[in-house]
Amino acid sequence: MKPAPLDYAAPETLAEAVALLADASREAKVIAGGQSLMPMLNMRLARPELLVDLRRVDGLDHIREEHGAIRIGAMTSKREVEQSPLVRERLPLLHAATLHVGHPQIRSRGTVGGSMAQADPAAEYPCVAVALGATMRVVGPGGERTIPAADFFVTYLTTALEEDEILVEVSFPVPAPGTGWSFTEISRRHGDFALAGAAITVALDGAGTVADSAIVLFGVGPGPVRAHAAEARIRGGRPGDELYREAGAAVAAALTDPPADVHADSEYRRHLAATMTTRGLAEAVQRT
Amino acid sequence: MTVEIPKSLAELPVGEPRWVGRRVRRTEDAALLTGRVEFIDDVQLPGMLHCAILRSPFAHARITSIDVSAALALDGVAAVVTGADARAWANPPRSAPEGWGALCIAAEKASFVGEPVAAVAATSRYVAEDALELIEVDYEPLDVVEDPFAAMQPDSELVHEDQGTNVMMQRVFTWGEVDAALAGAAHTFTERFRWNRLGANPTETYGCVCEWDPMSLDIVVRGAMQSPSSFALGRAATFGLASNKVRVVGHAHGGSFGGKGNARGTDIACMLSRKAGGRPVKWIEDRSEYMTAGASQAWDRHYEATLTTDAEGVVTALVVKLVDDIGASGDGFGAISAAKPLTAFTGPYTIPVARYDLTLVATNKVPASPYRGMGPPPHFFVLEQMMDIAARGLAIDPAEMRRRNFIPADRFPYTIPSGNEYDSGSYERVLDEALDLAGYEQLRKDQAAARAEGRLVGIGVASAIEPGVFDWNAYAIVGMPQTGVPEGATVGVDITGSITVRVGFSHEGQGQPTLVSQLVAEYFAVEMDAVRVVHLDTASAPPSFGPGGSRLGVAITGAVLGACERVRDKMATVVAAIMHCDAGDVELRDGRFRVAGRPEVDMTVAQVAGTMLARSDLLPEGMDPLPEATYVWTAPGRTPADEEGRAKSYLTAAQAVHVVVVEIDAETGVVEIVRYCLVDDCGTRLNPVVVEGQTDGSVAQGIGAALYEEYVYGDEAQPLTASFMDYLMPTINEVPAIEKREVVTPSPVSPLGAKGCGEGAMHTTPAAVMCAVNDALAPLGVMAREVPAAPNRVWNLLRSAGTQR
Ligand SMILES: Cc1cc2nc3c(=O)[nH]c(=O)nc-3n(C[C@H](O)[C@H](O)[C@H](O)COP(=O)(O)OP(=O)(O)OC[C@H]3O[C@@H](n4cnc5c(N)ncnc54)[C@H](O)[C@@H]3O)c2cc1C
Repeated sequence: MKPAPLDYAAPETLAEAVALLADASREAKVIAGGQSLMPMLNMRLARPELLVDLRRVDGLDHIREEHGAIRIGAMTSKREVEQSPLVRERLPLLHAATLHVGHPQIRSRGTVGGSMAQADPAAEYPCVAVALGATMRVVGPGGERTIPAADFFVTYLTTALEEDEILVEVSFPVPAPGTGWSFTEISRRHGDFALAGAAITVALDGAGTVADSAIVLFGVGPGPVRAHAAEARIRGGRPGDELYREAGAAVAAALTDPPADVHADSEYRRHLAATMTTRGLAEAVQRT
Repeated sequence: MTVEIPKSLAELPVGEPRWVGRRVRRTEDAALLTGRVEFIDDVQLPGMLHCAILRSPFAHARITSIDVSAALALDGVAAVVTGADARAWANPPRSAPEGWGALCIAAEKASFVGEPVAAVAATSRYVAEDALELIEVDYEPLDVVEDPFAAMQPDSELVHEDQGTNVMMQRVFTWGEVDAALAGAAHTFTERFRWNRLGANPTETYGCVCEWDPMSLDIVVRGAMQSPSSFALGRAATFGLASNKVRVVGHAHGGSFGGKGNARGTDIACMLSRKAGGRPVKWIEDRSEYMTAGASQAWDRHYEATLTTDAEGVVTALVVKLVDDIGASGDGFGAISAAKPLTAFTGPYTIPVARYDLTLVATNKVPASPYRGMGPPPHFFVLEQMMDIAARGLAIDPAEMRRRNFIPADRFPYTIPSGNEYDSGSYERVLDEALDLAGYEQLRKDQAAARAEGRLVGIGVASAIEPGVFDWNAYAIVGMPQTGVPEGATVGVDITGSITVRVGFSHEGQGQPTLVSQLVAEYFAVEMDAVRVVHLDTASAPPSFGPGGSRLGVAITGAVLGACERVRDKMATVVAAIMHCDAGDVELRDGRFRVAGRPEVDMTVAQVAGTMLARSDLLPEGMDPLPEATYVWTAPGRTPADEEGRAKSYLTAAQAVHVVVVEIDAETGVVEIVRYCLVDDCGTRLNPVVVEGQTDGSVAQGIGAALYEEYVYGDEAQPLTASFMDYLMPTINEVPAIEKREVVTPSPVSPLGAKGCGEGAMHTTPAAVMCAVNDALAPLGVMAREVPAAPNRVWNLLRSAGTQR
């Protein structure tokens, strides 16, 4: 349980950090809160030659509202997100999801950027990012670019980040007033990675029927899974138990081969995804 | 001279007890909570090396070659050992049944994933782990023995080829006229159950610092083991040394629950030290090593049980057939664990006859180890499910079912069919208290209302026995024919009257140092913090076993009080000599020696001690001037086992009734514990705070067993649960607040009437939670026969019942 030999650097500017990553002579990896990376280093599953610690880099730790979006620096801890009045008020879905990420100790060390870059398919944050239509601001040797969340999460533990790129900020558009939301998940114990879960937003039109929704699942695919069929199924529908159950059924039908592990087989995960959808939709509509 | 150990608080030489039986704060906690206790990983010795162990990635593979030259050449590496060294220097541990043990490093073949194949000692653990990557091992994979039933087939691959079979032991024990009872029964119920592997997970894993002097061959082991003395004897046997060549220094350690008895790492570190010229070698087991290859796993059991009753629901016979998957070798005491149910086979009931059909099978999994309760918790899970199955079959309320079958209070001492004698009990009163605490009648009404709404609410009422004060004779059937387990203490008063107690057990967390202080402070009427408790190493300690089998609280009470009595007797002789009276007229009361009819005689304990050590002018010639005594306590009245394994074994029998309410989410299968109530009776409560702490922790572990914890093996016996990501211990979020009451029926045979209570609720909780789960499922006509009742399993049951929406 000790890492293989490695070097360590703690640069103070983003440019320095990018330069260290871009240096092709040795394999480098960013470390943020270390809550996922340290175990992998200790088990020698990750063996970078150089660790680039972002802790001292300026300008990566903030939560602020600008142009209708909440912008969160990549090095902001999940504990700061959890305690931010701005997030609680403007992005209640993100606040609710944060409470499901591990335990207070994990949230104090683990960062927003780390959760996104880790791209664990059972993680809460990538799912919320997709549901809220967030964008990722990324800096590399060639400069800066933004990537929509929907394109950022590629597959298991894989993002659209290049090896020499650093995620610097996640920008969450503030949902329109009156948008209902819910965050539901089922895990074996409180604080565990989810067996299955759903982040949902829903807007009703003047007639009280569903105008628009985002239903995004986690724990049941290689990354966040947008439930397009369920969204289509409920568009224009009248909220009620039957509609929610149909959405759940649409989710179950559309999921191809949810993953199986010691805690849940594929069929059970499919069923849980449907159940979380049905329950979550009811909850989200109540909040409209 | 015989020593009379006080059997009740009233027999102590004080008016009103100030310490014993009171809610006393633990004296050791301040140091623990402020980080001032030295644990094994804190130990640094000059020239100390660090050990890392290379482990087999295969569950079953021949080792065809091994090349350590590159590892030896790495800077910082001092020594490397392989199976060849183990074969040269070590024997298989004697904890295994003859022929079923394994060397500490695999020599010819690896028999489970994680079995050591080589080890390195280097200047740091980092370098040692780097060196492991340079060792080249060629394996020739063999067929893997994964399933105990397949393992019993004649064509199965063999784990121990020289044994010619994978069956480690097969025996049927019959106690009474079982066949007649089965034939004549009014009702017969038969069911199968599965208890999956789980085990102890102490806060701290095992660790040690070992020195083996290559010249003198003396071994010193500092370590976090549960029982230093048996560990020392074990090392001597393993290395073929006289037992006084091994000195074990037991460190304070972060719990054990049975998980600190695995000797492999110690033996490896010892061999590395010898190769490195006797330099100290530290080995700290990391959590993954512990979980896959340490003393982590217990009870991999397949049960079939039959219970018969008469027309009124009185149980007439119990037959339990157990196939126990012991894993790759017997050295984790797995066989003992299967034998322990003999100490309480029929639980708290009057069941007159019983049969135990026992098969221990070797497979390519990590050897089974002890876990809190040792063997009875899965057995009681089975027995209590059977009681409920019978109750349901006969339409008897589960609480009433227990009442009808309880051993009545006036029938103690009571000998059970498997031979043990229960000392005392008030089972029906415990039940009444539990039902009252839970508001049982109202619970059943609420349940009926919930069921009418389609909710799955269940109530479990379960009772079990906690056999207390472990004795080896219970294990005669698996080759451990001794009777009696010693525990010693030395109580000494110094020249100023300060009292020091020297003990052989190490500080493990259950509060025994506090208990020792309570007892001595009470006996000599001093303040508790005036008593110093010193933990000695095995070279200087009196005979000791330490904690295990719910014994140490009772045993150390006997030892300490015995030593106190001896000190008092010695002092009384001195007082008699200098006061010119008869020793029989000298009485110790409230810390002072007095003589009947002579009010002018009034000496304190300190005065007598000072006289003994500093006033030879006052002492008659030849009088022993040492105000100190040692007493070794063993349980009285134990008997050797007969051919059917019957013995008076564990001295005390505590009992409890738990009432649990659960609700199952009908859509997801998730079980939630809504209420947890328990009443227990462990005789005199020497320190109620400690009893409650043991109970709380034990309920948590029982909930883990019932709902969460499971070591899972995949294809080719690859472990799939190698970290706390996948092996789920319950946390504060999963364990509800526990409502408790107590009943006190003192033991007539133990020191102060106390009963073993350390393993506690683990005996009852898994049974009670599963009774509740099955009560919730009963209207659907399905039953959970497998623990843990994980949500996927429960959902499968719901689905099979067709309730799934
Ligand atoms: C006990 C426990 C329970 C947990 N439970 C949950 C849970 O329920 N849900 C959940 O989602 N997570 C859980 N986690 C994981 C935790 O949330 C991690 O914090 C998170 O996954 C990674 O964040 P980090 O800051 O620690 O990143 P690190 O571990 O430091 O890094 C993770 C990966 O991201 C890369 N990286 C980090 N920051 C950047 C960046 N700015 N740009 C580019 N790459 C970057 C690293 O190179 C590394 O590959 C748990 C962890 C533990 C230990």
